[in-house]
Amino acid sequence: MAEPLTQRPTPIRPRARTRDRLGAVLRRLAGAVFVLWAVATLTFFAVRLIPGDPAQAILGGPGSQTSPEALAAVRAEYGLDQPIWVQYLQQLGRLATGDLGRSYGLNQDVGPLVLAQLGGTLVLAVTSLAVAWVLALTLATWSTGRGRLARRIGSGLEIVAAALPHFWLATVLIVLFSVWLGVLPPISTSDARGLVLPVLTLAVPLAGFLGQVMRESLLTALESPFVLSARARGESERGVFWRHALRHAALPAISLSGWAFGSLISGAVVVETIFARPGLGRTLLTAVTVRDVPVVVGVVMVVAVAYILMTIATDVASRIADPRPRTEAGR
Amino acid sequence: MPRPGIVRSTPRPLTLALAAGVTALGLALTGCTTASPDAGDDTPKSGGTLTYASGDAEPTCLDPHVGGNFPQALVSSQYLESLVSLDDEGTVIPWLADSWTVSDDGLAWEFTLRDGVTFTDGTPLDAAAVQANVAHLQDPETGSSTGYLALAKVAGTEAVSDSVVRFTLSEPDSALLESLSQPWLAIQSATALERTQDENCAAPVGTGPFKVDSWVKQNAITMVRNDDYTSPPGDAGHAGPAYLDEIVWRFIPDSASRYAALQAGEVDMIDNVQPDTIAQAESSDTIVHLDAPRPGASNRIELNSGKAPFDDIAVREAFIRSANIVDGVESLFQGTADRSTSALSSVEPLGVSEPDLFDYDPDAADALLDGAGWTQRDSDGYRVKDGVRLSVVFPVSTNQSIPAEQSLYEQIQATAKETGFEVKLAKLDLSSWYAELGANAYDAVSAPYTKVGPDVLRILFHSDGITPAPSGYFANHAQVNDPEIDALLTEAGQISDPERRAALYADAQERVLDGFYILPLMDQQNHFLYATSLEGARVLPAVSTPTFYDAWLNR
Amino acid sequence: MSELEIQAAVPRRTNVAGRRRPSLAEVLAALLALFLLTAAIAPRLLAPGDPLAIDPLSAFQAPSVAHWFGTDESGRDIYTRVIDGARDSLVIGVTATLIGLGLGVVLGTIAGTLGAAVDFTVNRFLEVLFAFPGLLLALLFILVFGPGPATAIVAVGLSTAPGYARIIRAQLIRVRSSAFVEAATVQGLSGRRILTRHVLPNTLSPLLVLGTLGIGQAIVWAAALSYLGLGAQPPAAEWGAMLSAGRTYITSAWWMSFYPGLFIVLTAVCATYIGRAIERRMRHA
Repeated sequence: MAEPLTQRPTPIRPRARTRDRLGAVLRRLAGAVFVLWAVATLTFFAVRLIPGDPAQAILGGPGSQTSPEALAAVRAEYGLDQPIWVQYLQQLGRLATGDLGRSYGLNQDVGPLVLAQLGGTLVLAVTSLAVAWVLALTLATWSTGRGRLARRIGSGLEIVAAALPHFWLATVLIVLFSVWLGVLPPISTSDARGLVLPVLTLAVPLAGFLGQVMRESLLTALESPFVLSARARGESERGVFWRHALRHAALPAISLSGWAFGSLISGAVVVETIFARPGLGRTLLTAVTVRDVPVVVGVVMVVAVAYILMTIATDVASRIADPRPRTEAGR
Repeated sequence: MPRPGIVRSTPRPLTLALAAGVTALGLALTGCTTASPDAGDDTPKSGGTLTYASGDAEPTCLDPHVGGNFPQALVSSQYLESLVSLDDEGTVIPWLADSWTVSDDGLAWEFTLRDGVTFTDGTPLDAAAVQANVAHLQDPETGSSTGYLALAKVAGTEAVSDSVVRFTLSEPDSALLESLSQPWLAIQSATALERTQDENCAAPVGTGPFKVDSWVKQNAITMVRNDDYTSPPGDAGHAGPAYLDEIVWRFIPDSASRYAALQAGEVDMIDNVQPDTIAQAESSDTIVHLDAPRPGASNRIELNSGKAPFDDIAVREAFIRSANIVDGVESLFQGTADRSTSALSSVEPLGVSEPDLFDYDPDAADALLDGAGWTQRDSDGYRVKDGVRLSVVFPVSTNQSIPAEQSLYEQIQATAKETGFEVKLAKLDLSSWYAELGANAYDAVSAPYTKVGPDVLRILFHSDGITPAPSGYFANHAQVNDPEIDALLTEAGQISDPERRAALYADAQERVLDGFYILPLMDQQNHFLYATSLEGARVLPAVSTPTFYDAWLNR
Repeated sequence: MSELEIQAAVPRRTNVAGRRRPSLAEVLAALLALFLLTAAIAPRLLAPGDPLAIDPLSAFQAPSVAHWFGTDESGRDIYTRVIDGARDSLVIGVTATLIGLGLGVVLGTIAGTLGAAVDFTVNRFLEVLFAFPGLLLALLFILVFGPGPATAIVAVGLSTAPGYARIIRAQLIRVRSSAFVEAATVQGLSGRRILTRHVLPNTLSPLLVLGTLGIGQAIVWAAALSYLGLGAQPPAAEWGAMLSAGRTYITSAWWMSFYPGLFIVLTAVCATYIGRAIERRMRHA
C-alpha cells in the first residue's frame, strides 16, 4: 500500500465515469478482436511453415499411396493451389463468419468436432483450477500462524509440488491408486471417479505454484500496517486473517489464474493422452502430428477465446476482491 | 440372564433354522466350487459387452478401402469379411467365396460366392457387389493405398452370373488369393459404397459377425451383434450369430495406462503390449497372453544402398557385423521375441533364414572397414575417409516403434560406435519421418510392412519400389536395384506352380540377405493380453487381427 | 502487483545484528547447487564410468552397491547417466530461463517506460502469446525447426517470456509511482540515478525468485517435450528423456524413472531456495 503522501484521489464526475467505463469496455473488445486475429494469423502461418503437403494430409495422411490426379483434385477442392496469402484471407473470412472449416484428416467439420471436445477439457481445466485453489489455500492457512516449522514445511511442500512433471506424476498416481490400491480407474470413465486422477495430476503442481505466490503476499500482508491497525481495533485473529490478509494475498494468485488456465490447457495435452480422456489437448496433438491445419487453427481459436474470457473473469474477480480504494495511480 | 433354577438351551426351532442355514450355505459354497467355470463348464454364454483398448492411433476412416493401415484392419475385422481367409498353416480357405478357379494362362480368375449371405443393410452378396468393391478400391478418389497396390494387376471384373465373378488380369498374379485374404480388400455392400465417403467412413456396411453401431470420435467405436450372420470362415469354432452382444473399441495411446486399465478390469483386451508387462502378465493368473506375429516383412533395419556410405557392400556388412542383436533382443524383450535372420516374418512358410550372415563380429567389422578405406579415426573415435565422417542418419518414427525397439536402436548405436560408425538417431513424428524418407535424407530406417504372402518381397526389393508415389512414400527403403533380383521377383509374381514359386522366392531372399541390404531384428511384434474371463478369442491368421466371433464372456 | 509494493515498503524482521544467518534449508540448497554444478562441469569427478556404455545382459538391475541407482533397459548405469544429464538439463533450464527473462525484461521495460500507446501495443502482443497454449507454441516451433535441445531451449524460452514481461511491466509501473521514487525526485536526483539506485533494484529482485522458480519449470517443460519425443535425441542422458523412457517400465523397474525425476525436483527446489535467499539479502542491502 502506498504512503498517504502520494494518495491524492481525484474526484471524478458521474457522467464522465460512465463514459470512461464504456470506453474501457470498447477498448477491451477491440483488444480481444485483435488478439483473436493475431492468434489466427500466427497459427495459420506457423502450421504452414511445418514441412508437409496439406493435400497429402487430406488424402489419407502421411505415407499413403495417392495418385497425382487425386492430389490435384483435392488441391482444387480445398483451394490449396492458390497463393498462400489468398488462402490466408479465405481462412480469415471463414473465421469471421464462424466457419472453422473442415478437418483434413477426420472427415468432419471442425466446429462441431472442437465443440464436442471442448467440454471435456473445460471440465478438466476448471476443476483442476478449483482444486488447486483449495489445496493452496488449505496449505497456506494451515501453515501460517503456527510457527516457523509449519511455515517451512508448507513452503517446502509447495516448492516440491510445483516441480513435479505432469506425465511423471500421472504415472505415479496411476500406479499408486489404480494398480496398488485399486480404488480409482486408471483411465477416464464416464463418471466422476475417472476425473480424480487427471485433476490431481494437473492441480498439485499448480497448487504448488499458486501457494508459493500466496504465501509471500500472505506473510507480508500479516505484518503490514493495515493489519496492525485492524488488530489494534480489536478484531480477532481469525477475522484479521480472513477479511484482510487473505484478500490481499489472493490478489496476485487471482491474476495468475488467467495465466494458469493457459498452462492447464498445455498440461491437458499430456494428461488427456495418458488417461485416454477425450479433449482438445489430444485432438490438438494428433492434428499437429498429421498436419491437419483446420483442426489446429480451430482448437487454438477456441482456446484463445476461452483464455480471453478467463482473463476478463479474473480481472473482475480481482476488482471485487481488492479492498483498496480505486485511485488513478496504477489501477 | 436365565432365571435361577432353569437351564434353558436355545429353542429348538432356532437351532434347526441355524443348522439348516449353515448347511445350506455350505452346500451352496461347495456347489459353487464344483460349478465354477474353470472346472470344466465350457458352454459359451450368450451376451455381454467386450471392451477392447488399442494402443494404435484412432483411424480416421473405418472403411479399410480408404488408406489401408493396421489400426483399420484391427477394427474392421469385426464387421467386414474378405473373399478368402487363411488357416494356421497358411493355406487359403474359403470365406465369402466358396471356391475359385484360374485359367491356364493365369489371366482369368473365377470366384463362386457363398449362398445366402446378406449385408447388414439387407442387400445380397452377389457378383455385382464384388465388382463394386473392386471398382471402389481402384478409384483414385477413394484414396486406397494397400488395396490399390494389391489389385494392381486386375484389369477388370465381370459378373458371369449372380454368384460367380470373374477377375481379368493384365498379367498373371500368383499373390492374388493371398491379397484377397487381407482385411483391406474386404467386401462391403454396394449400396453402402454409393454413399458419400464421409458416411461410409463413419459406418461401413459388411457381412461380419458384428456391425458398427456408433462412432464417437476420440472416444469409442461401438459395434453390436449381427443377428443374421451366416458366413464364418472355414476355421471358425461354431456357426450362427456371435455370442457377444456388443464390442466397445477404445483407444488408449499410453502403454502404462493401457495395461493398468486391463489390470483394473476397465477393459478386457489390449494390444501393443510392452515386453515387460508380458512377463508380468504371464505370472498372473487373471491375464492371458496371445502372441501373433504379423505376416509380411520381419522387423528389420534397411540400409540405404542408394547413397554413401552404404552404397559400398563392405560398409553395409561391417555395420551389420558391428551390431549385437541377440543380447539386445534377449534383454529388452525378455524372452518374448526371438532374433530373426530372415527378411520375412516367421509365419511366412516360404521365408528363408541365414543365421550365419548376421553374427555379432566386431573384429570382422573392423577388418571390412579397413579394407574399404575407412582406416582413420577422428578425435571422437569415428572413422573418417577423405575428410568425411562415417555417419549413419537413422530417423525413428515414434508412432511406428515401441520403446523397446527404440532402445534396441540405441544399443546398435552404441556398439556401432565402437567399430567407428556415428549413428545419428532422430526421433520424429510420423509426418516428419515420411518427409525425411521421401527426401532421401536417411541412411538406415526401420519401417514395418504387413502383407500376406511372399509377394511382399517384390514390394520391398524390386527396383520399381524406389520410385516414390506423389506423397513421397516408397517401400524399397534399401533401394535395392539388382536386375537379377528384379527378374526373380517378377517371375515369381506370375508363376502359379508352387514349387517353382517357392524356389524363386528362396533364391531372391538369399540374394537380398547376401547383399547385406537389411539387418533383420525379429518378427513384427503383435502381442495381445486379455482377461481370463474372455474365452474363445483368437486371431485371424491372415494378418493376425483379433476376431471375436467365437468369443464369450465367462462372468 | 500490490504485494510487491508491500514488500518494497515494509522492512522484514531481522535479528539484532541486522544480517540474516543462513537457514538449514539454504545451506542444503547451496550444497546441492554445488553438487549439481560439479556434475555439470566435471561429471567424471562424481561418476567415473561411461554414461553411454551398454551392457544388455545387466539390464533392469535394481539399485545395488555396483550400481547405486540401478541399470536401465540397456544395462547403462543410471547414476552415471543422471550425473551426466545434469549438464544437459541445467543448460536447458538456465538458458531457456535466461532467454525468457531477457525477452521479458526487454518487452516489459518497453511497455512500462515508453508511454501509453506503446504499452497498449505491447500488452496486446503479450496477450496473443499468452492465449497460445505454451506447449503448442513449443510444439510448432520444434516442428518447424526440427527437434533437439537447441530448439527445445528456444521454444521453452519463448513460451515463458510473456509471463516475465508482464511482471516486469507491472513492477516498473508500481515502482515508478511509489514513495521513495517520488521522494528521490523531490530531492532533485537525476532520472538516471533514480533508475539505477531505486527503480531497477526493486524491479529486478522479484525476478530472481521467479527466475529460479523458472529454471525448475523450464526443466520440467523440456521433460514434457521429451515425453512427446521432441526434446533431446538418444542417446543423450537428459533427465526428461530418461524420465520419459523410464515411465514405460515403471511397474517393473521403478528406479529408471524415480532417480531422474528426483533430480528434476531437487534441482527446481534448490534453485527456488537459492533465489529466495539471494532476494532476501538483496532487499536488506
